Amino acid sequence: MAVNPLMRQAYPVWPALIAAIACAAPLVAVAALAVSGEWTGYLTHLWSTRLPDYLLNTVQVTLISGGLALALGSGLAWLVARYEFTGRSVFEWLLALPLAVPAYAAAYGWFDLTQAGGPLGMLPTVRGATGAGLILGLTLYPYVYLLAREAFSGQSADAYEAARTLGARPREAFLRAAMPMARPAIAAGLALVVMETLADYGAVAHLGAPTLTVGLIRAWAGEGATADAARLALMLVAIAFVIFALERGQRARARQTSASGRRRPARRIQLPPVRGLAAAALCLSPVLLGMVVPLGRLAYRSLSAPVTRDLVSAAQNAVLLAVIAGVLAAILGLAAAYALRTGTRSGAVAARVAGLGYAVPGAVAAIGVLAILGLLQSWMDAAWATLFGGLFPVVLTGGIAALIFAYLSRFAAAAIGPADSALSRVTPALDGAARTLGASANETARRVHWPLITQGALLAALLVFVEVLKELPATMILRPFNFDTLAVIAHNYASDERLGEAALPAVLIAAVALPPMIWIARRIVRAEAVRAEATGAEAGR
Amino acid sequence: MTLDDRLLDVRGATVRYAPGRAAVDGADLRLTCGRVTALLGPSGSGKSSLLRAIAGLEKLDGGEIRFENNVWSAPGVHLPPEQRRCGVVFQDYALFPHLTALDNTAFGLRGGSRAQRRAQAMQRLIAVELEERAHAYPHQLSGGEQQRVALARALAPGPDVVLMDEPFSGLDRRLRTDLRATTARALRQSAAATLLVTHDAEEALALADTIALMSEGRIIQTGAPDALYLRPASLTAARLLGEIEVFDATVSNSHAATPLGGAPAPGFADGAPVCVLVRPESIQVRRADGDGALATITERRAGVGQLRLVCQMSDGREVMARTLLSARHRQGDAVRLSLDPDAVHVISASAA
Repeated sequence: MAVNPLMRQAYPVWPALIAAIACAAPLVAVAALAVSGEWTGYLTHLWSTRLPDYLLNTVQVTLISGGLALALGSGLAWLVARYEFTGRSVFEWLLALPLAVPAYAAAYGWFDLTQAGGPLGMLPTVRGATGAGLILGLTLYPYVYLLAREAFSGQSADAYEAARTLGARPREAFLRAAMPMARPAIAAGLALVVMETLADYGAVAHLGAPTLTVGLIRAWAGEGATADAARLALMLVAIAFVIFALERGQRARARQTSASGRRRPARRIQLPPVRGLAAAALCLSPVLLGMVVPLGRLAYRSLSAPVTRDLVSAAQNAVLLAVIAGVLAAILGLAAAYALRTGTRSGAVAARVAGLGYAVPGAVAAIGVLAILGLLQSWMDAAWATLFGGLFPVVLTGGIAALIFAYLSRFAAAAIGPADSALSRVTPALDGAARTLGASANETARRVHWPLITQGALLAALLVFVEVLKELPATMILRPFNFDTLAVIAHNYASDERLGEAALPAVLIAAVALPPMIWIARRIVRAEAVRAEATGAEAGR
Repeated sequence: MTLDDRLLDVRGATVRYAPGRAAVDGADLRLTCGRVTALLGPSGSGKSSLLRAIAGLEKLDGGEIRFENNVWSAPGVHLPPEQRRCGVVFQDYALFPHLTALDNTAFGLRGGSRAQRRAQAMQRLIAVELEERAHAYPHQLSGGEQQRVALARALAPGPDVVLMDEPFSGLDRRLRTDLRATTARALRQSAAATLLVTHDAEEALALADTIALMSEGRIIQTGAPDALYLRPASLTAARLLGEIEVFDATVSNSHAATPLGGAPAPGFADGAPVCVLVRPESIQVRRADGDGALATITERRAGVGQLRLVCQMSDGREVMARTLLSARHRQGDAVRLSLDPDAVHVISASAA
């Protein structure tokens, strides 16, 4: 596409470059730190001790959580997209809600229920790699569900119907036509699940399945060596990037398969009452297992827990951080989306680099920020020494700014998608129309762009808000001294085996995250309905 | 001085998207206030790019655009689109999805109170017979209604120049005819210089006072519709306006001989190679006992009010002719073909 001069003039690329740098800098710093000094020694040592265990756990947990999320997410998406049954329109968004539950909260709840002497003590105790995989799958499947549902209600449904008219039985049509069409979307969802699983610390640590992330945090906390942590971080990033590359490969195919045809709402098949109830029960179960049961248990446990002043300030801190990160991420996401729109090479590169962020686990981003701070400190010390002699009198810890920096490098990527799709409503012709009607570039932004993108920007900000609220490892590593968030105190109590006191902050996180998550889920579902209606009306003319 | 003397003057306009071939390659065009000029050309000929350059949505890489005495575009000069007073009807209408028809129409109005602006916008909607749909959002409007809102919106600020980019392309045939009438009326009421970009010759002939033909980034001929149709300057120009038969000939005695008879070729030297251009309806088809070259009808197809005949001549060449639908010709009939000497046009072979 030709570069539109209006865009080139009106929308600078530099905000997107800042986003790109925010995402890339910690990674570069991690890599630099990891290979500094005698870097093979630690890994050799670790290889002979705990590294095989870390890797084995990582693979096990990822396979189980990915497999469960794939089955649950795509199966339920097909059910909701293709069939009509009691409560379907509620399940459509309800099924996305477990995303509001941090995996560690679900882990605390289930562990408490099933441990020896717990109310469900007769069941096998939820623990180890299997337990952690199941918990992560139950709380992360909505990523697959949301993306698969959209694919199944669009083109993939057409392909299914075409296959049926060509003589394929339902099962065959699903496997040979609908699934291949939806595969890029499902792969994208699955990649998100795997990334989140790799990044998880709270659940795997509590359930005793030490993955690479746990090893990384141990290296940082136990031995206090940032460089050693960076070495593990680099390994983690390498795995994440392989997943990322695989998913991008699928996405390239998506472009080929989505080129033609008008989207129209697929007609859903009415299920007979009994099977309809079965479908409803099927939809209800992951919501119960992933959200209601563990949160219910935690809520019950927290009835007897005292509300301390620490808890109140931790809640304030958590919300404050999440709001700041959400707003900034939405701004960076919009900047990246605008940069993509200029059509210039630097814009596209900047947006793509910023988009890499979601492959960077929180702990890795935190170690990266530490590495940058360390580098700055050494420069300051050196400069101070030559100028005045002695060491730089301030120790750089970064504080909240460093924490926000780490959040953004991980979550700004999550804001690019919604920002980009919001901005896609603003076609270049709309700019042309506004400008030729006498509106300046600023006025066009205010009167045309802003009303069209506010909802998308809000969606981006809320997504990041929820993610930051749940975030644990980066917060643990980077939080300033005496600065706690809900996630951190929940984890601290839980690791002291004081689940009663861990319950309340964990429940609070879910309670704060749920309303925005409901809004997000309903909006995603409704946006599609509106789109389908609009194209349907056009087709009907 | 009358209104007609206000001019938009495009000289040597060049737009290049990437190094290499230019989308608009030195185009000259002149728009007069109060008149409709159609810019006709095949897709990819640079029509839309030229329109966008006039609106200020593309920068010129060469040449200049001026309105009256003001330079709008020239190398190093680019008046922003919002200062040009150009109303644009975009190909996909580009209505603002978050505004009603009325608010879309009022978007470009400045000054006065909000109520005044809305009243003014309502007048515009009434002019295009859309007052009942004033509070509907674009996605609730049909294609034809969207087109009329786009027209009302472009005309509302009282622009000096109105630019329309394939404004009827997404509509069905009957709707197009109705809208053409509405559009022509609305345009005539405004004193603006109008440019209608289209690839549809019929549309250009129906709406325009002047037609400019564009091919490969250049304006190849400008003139009144009938003059262009009957006396195209080149084969390309001739084909842009409709079907044409071409006979190669050599001039002798200011005449060019074709298999269907001689054509007057004044102003050509003896021996000059020329092309004789004939529109299918200027080929006279008579029964076999009349005058003319012998041919056989190989294909007969009824059209709207006319009959399209493919006739094979004795040398194997196929010639297309159009007659009244009521003419009694059948497939397989032997006929005689001749030229209407007043309706043929001779151009130099080098112009073909």
